[in-house]
Amino acid sequence: MGLIDIKNVTFEYFRRDENGDVEEMIEALRDISLEVKEGEFIAIVGQNGSGKSTLARQINALLLPGQGEVIVDGMDTRDEEWRLSIRQRAGMVFQNPDNQMVGNIVEEDIAFGPENLGVSTEEIWNRVEETLTATDMEEYRTQSPNRLSGGQKQRVAIAGVLAMEPKCIIFDEATAMLDPKGREKMIKLVKTLQEERGITVILITHHMDEVLYADKVFVMKQGEIMDSGAPEYIFSQRELLEECGLEMPPLYQYLYFLSGQEIISMAEMKTVRAEKDLSRLLQEKYGKTAEKAAAGMKTAPLTDREIAEKQAESDMVRETVGEHTLTKGILLNHVSYSYNVGFAHERKVLQDISLGIDKGEFVAVIGHTGSGKSTLLQHLNGLYLPTEGNVYFNGRDIAEKDFPIKELRQKAGMVFQYPEYQLFAETVEQDVCFGPENMDIPRVEAQKRAYEALAAVGLPDDIYDASPLQLSGGQKRRAAIAGVLAMRPEYLILDEPTAGLDPVSAKELLQMLKKLQTGQGMAIVMVSHDMEEVAEYADRVVVLDQGKICMDCTVSEAFGQADLLERLGLSVPVGIKLLKDLGGAGVSVDTNQCRMADICGELMKLQEA
Amino acid sequence: MGKDITIGQFYNVDSVIHRLDPRTKLVFTLVYVTTLFFARNPYLYAAAFVTLAIYIGLSKVPLKFIFRGLRPLMLIIIFMVLVNLFTVPGAKILFQWGFLRITEAGLVSAVYLGLRLVFMLIGSSMMTYTTTPNALTDGLEKMLGGLKKIKVPVHEFAMIMAIALRFVPVLTEEMERIRKAQTARGVDFQEGNLFVRLKKLMPILVPLFVSAIRRSNELALAMDARCYHGGEGRTKMKPLRYKRADGFAYIFVVFYLAFMISMAVML
Repeated sequence: MGLIDIKNVTFEYFRRDENGDVEEMIEALRDISLEVKEGEFIAIVGQNGSGKSTLARQINALLLPGQGEVIVDGMDTRDEEWRLSIRQRAGMVFQNPDNQMVGNIVEEDIAFGPENLGVSTEEIWNRVEETLTATDMEEYRTQSPNRLSGGQKQRVAIAGVLAMEPKCIIFDEATAMLDPKGREKMIKLVKTLQEERGITVILITHHMDEVLYADKVFVMKQGEIMDSGAPEYIFSQRELLEECGLEMPPLYQYLYFLSGQEIISMAEMKTVRAEKDLSRLLQEKYGKTAEKAAAGMKTAPLTDREIAEKQAESDMVRETVGEHTLTKGILLNHVSYSYNVGFAHERKVLQDISLGIDKGEFVAVIGHTGSGKSTLLQHLNGLYLPTEGNVYFNGRDIAEKDFPIKELRQKAGMVFQYPEYQLFAETVEQDVCFGPENMDIPRVEAQKRAYEALAAVGLPDDIYDASPLQLSGGQKRRAAIAGVLAMRPEYLILDEPTAGLDPVSAKELLQMLKKLQTGQGMAIVMVSHDMEEVAEYADRVVVLDQGKICMDCTVSEAFGQADLLERLGLSVPVGIKLLKDLGGAGVSVDTNQCRMADICGELMKLQEA
Repeated sequence: MGKDITIGQFYNVDSVIHRLDPRTKLVFTLVYVTTLFFARNPYLYAAAFVTLAIYIGLSKVPLKFIFRGLRPLMLIIIFMVLVNLFTVPGAKILFQWGFLRITEAGLVSAVYLGLRLVFMLIGSSMMTYTTTPNALTDGLEKMLGGLKKIKVPVHEFAMIMAIALRFVPVLTEEMERIRKAQTARGVDFQEGNLFVRLKKLMPILVPLFVSAIRRSNELALAMDARCYHGGEGRTKMKPLRYKRADGFAYIFVVFYLAFMISMAVML
């Protein structure tokens, strides 16, 4: 018998109308059976609403089966007597880092679980000490959780669960709100815990690249397990994944493309574990003569000085636009911004930023956490005014007394991070009308614009009268964006628009933005942590580091500077890396391609070689 | 916005006062504030002043920080002092201009009131400057522990308070973000009369409220998952234990109280 035994579990919940009568019954789980052995690493994947979180909550008795049974370490979850023991054995890390912290100080939060279990004071101190080390959080021990980054908060949450000495940890979409770097670090930690401590891991996620570490993957759709197996097997079930709204990691997408085009064989494909392997494989097979390949491979890592020189000589940073030369568009001229000016803890967040945004551009702003991206965005529509330098809109300084700031807010629409948390009106339609009505546009016209905006974001018209709270996560996000689009902006500024969305919703959202750019000539300025989406959708990249612009160039030029990007904690998409490697090895491919479809087009040339 | 408000915050340094048991500080604060109510002569104010000066000196909390905490309340204090100054009747009139009149009794009463308010505010905010919110709630929980016998849910109240304190910065930040987002959608919060402005708060308050409910649901689930089941059988990472310094502090409190009472009675 396994550590966790789920037998024929069915679970349904009821949606009730205002009178408390059952409106609808939703079967969240349908006859689910699965077994997890001690020390295993299990991944459960599926789209939002597939029932994966409901299943996870069955395991630590936060939910109880309607039919069937769940046995954890020999204990039935329906037996109230065992409830605390079950929760101690099977700990859980949740999605939102903020909403699972109880303590006001990191160490006190970690102690919360053991305190509840009645562990002796001395032992609590030992466990706190030990788990802080295990999660690499010692230096934050006495800090307030509010000062930590999302990834750090999640590590504290893991420490808090570890301090209860569980046999199993369930990660309920615990990486969904983290940036790619934070996710990677967390998954590595999870893997270490499994390997070194023998902790059973149940990972709930919609990011397929995370399941590579798992022993076994379960794919869920509409409350049912569709298939299960080793990650390699699951990746080969492409139709099934598509049907379940999941997306393969880019490396595997390329692999299947290449094997589909018979550029590599199935046997060769099986040897590939990382981008490096694929690159070597293709170079060996299609690279020119050995000498040429060697000549092409001279790209030894650059020293810092070389990078600096290279940066200086190339026009990576666009020439600063002279006084008022840009009479159209948004122009930041030598902008600096500091918090707490005049206080001891004055902090310069932006330093001497010069940047012009033209109509119809798609600009991605990238940089690691704390590099000043969000502050920069808020300068574009006058939410922040620079402490030094000027911002011009269509040639006028926005700090001028009689500058029509409302007009700027309308023309440069701003979508904040997690914009769905700003929805407030009774119906979706009213919420979307809010912006235009603030611009003193009459009701009828505002409604017309609202409908246009809602159609543009692809929301069906039967939800216009629904409460925003009833929508799904992806729909809420789109309704919030419609609220900004309804003001008919010429520039759309977005702060991490895809954060926390599942891959399918994220893709739809980005395609919609691209359509707004190409169809209506709207300029899109977007902060993103996901380099794959930057490469796929943006035309121009602005890289920030410690409040300064260190690159402002085309996507292809930016990703050509792999060394520099990696030093800033940013990565280069798999496909771009692959092309550059091949080009370096003397294979005749256009190394400037960035979009997946174009890269595949280039890879097709290998067929002829 | 919230950055200037230091009152109620914890000032993180290590000092004798910081290390005292929260219960000791609670008792002292209670005694200090109560005695101020009865202070009717300059000697008592002098004693209260010296005590407060020692307290602040030992705590290592900078004066600048303390005064900054007072600033938002200064307007109210000045207003109350002025009302006292001009309204308290008395035989001896020091100053008269039209209907404005200052009597000797009024002057004395206004000065005392001003001192009393300032001392009280500083005295009680010293408590929060030198005690972490958790220690504070622990202290309250332990001191009021006796009430559990008459079914007052003391532990639950303490837990609610601790969680509220935990989420104040989270929600403040969220409010700021929502305010900016609605500003970006064209709301001008400075515009219009009071009623119009209040109405404009709805697009901030509604999402904030919804978010608070969502957060509390999720937190409740997370607490369940971490085996929270009320105060019964719960142990503490940092249980409250009196140390030697607390003994000295209590002796001081007794002396202070005795002095204040005797001075008040004798003079």
